[in-house]
Amino acid sequence: MTSLTLSHFLFTSAVLFVIGVIGFVTRRNMIVMFLCTELMFQGAAIAMIAFSRFHGDLSGQVFVIFILTIAAAEAALALALVVLLFRRRETLSAEAWSELGEP
Amino acid sequence: MAPNVLYTSCVLGAIGIYLLLRPGPRALKPVGVLLGLGALGWVFKASAEALTGDGNGPTFFFYVFSGIAIAAAVRMITHHRPVYAALYFVMVVISSAALFLLLEAEFLAFALVIVYAGAILITYLFVLMLAQQAPEPGNEDAQPDYDVLPREPAAAATVGFIMLALLSDTVFMGAPEIQPGTVPVTATPENIEQVGVALIADFPVSLELAGVILLMAMYGAVVLARRQIELSEASR
Repeated sequence: MTSLTLSHFLFTSAVLFVIGVIGFVTRRNMIVMFLCTELMFQGAAIAMIAFSRFHGDLSGQVFVIFILTIAAAEAALALALVVLLFRRRETLSAEAWSELGEP
Repeated sequence: MAPNVLYTSCVLGAIGIYLLLRPGPRALKPVGVLLGLGALGWVFKASAEALTGDGNGPTFFFYVFSGIAIAAAVRMITHHRPVYAALYFVMVVISSAALFLLLEAEFLAFALVIVYAGAILITYLFVLMLAQQAPEPGNEDAQPDYDVLPREPAAAATVGFIMLALLSDTVFMGAPEIQPGTVPVTATPENIEQVGVALIADFPVSLELAGVILLMAMYGAVVLARRQIELSEASR
């Protein structure tokens, strides 16, 4: 095995991000869709830490702290909205609200 | 690394994920698993041949942890029960915390486990408990339709892997001589102290704004929860 380079970590982060995108587009359960956005956050966080290590600059790690903050705030508000939507229609399916889009 | 290796393994990975996602006969799921693992292993092996270096860093642990992270992520998006999806996401979080440890970011590895796995995912699991549909009396093990049937898995897998091919194209073929920079780790303070100093010294405004964002999120959650109580009282 050779040494680790930056590219290894960036590839892992790209794969996690793309799997999050596929899951977000595919699943219809609203809570699982938000879990897939959290997976996209994980991919971005790995990329930031990898670049921070690569450049020797700690700004990437500091920014991942802010990513955690934003993810927590977004999860709280998104789950509050999902609970309210569930109580309206008694279903977690995103397609119950599909008439909100364009006809 | 030859571009054919990357693109062919992206195509194989797309077929593998499509076979895992689609709601069909279960006999093809192991084929999907093998295709996905084979594509991933092929890319890593080809990258090992193309990128050479001076041998710093424990590479075996990287392959193990990123393999666990990717496998848990795929299982998360394909599992038909949302509670299992949340638990597989905990596995993704723990293995990406291990990747952070490989990158010498110890404070963030622990912060990730504490905040993500300890707070955010517990919130998700509570909401999953609250938002359960009551099972039908005759058929208690059946999952609701929106959990079992994915929405256009073929298009999603295709578009996703085109995106992955473009992203990893620049990663692997743009700069094959990239090496991780050498940070002197002997004479410097610990990681948590460095991160704290960098946070306060370089990003004070962002720190204040993060506090404001959390405050707004708390207000929003209280307002959203409160409106529900008023509705149920008004209906009596």
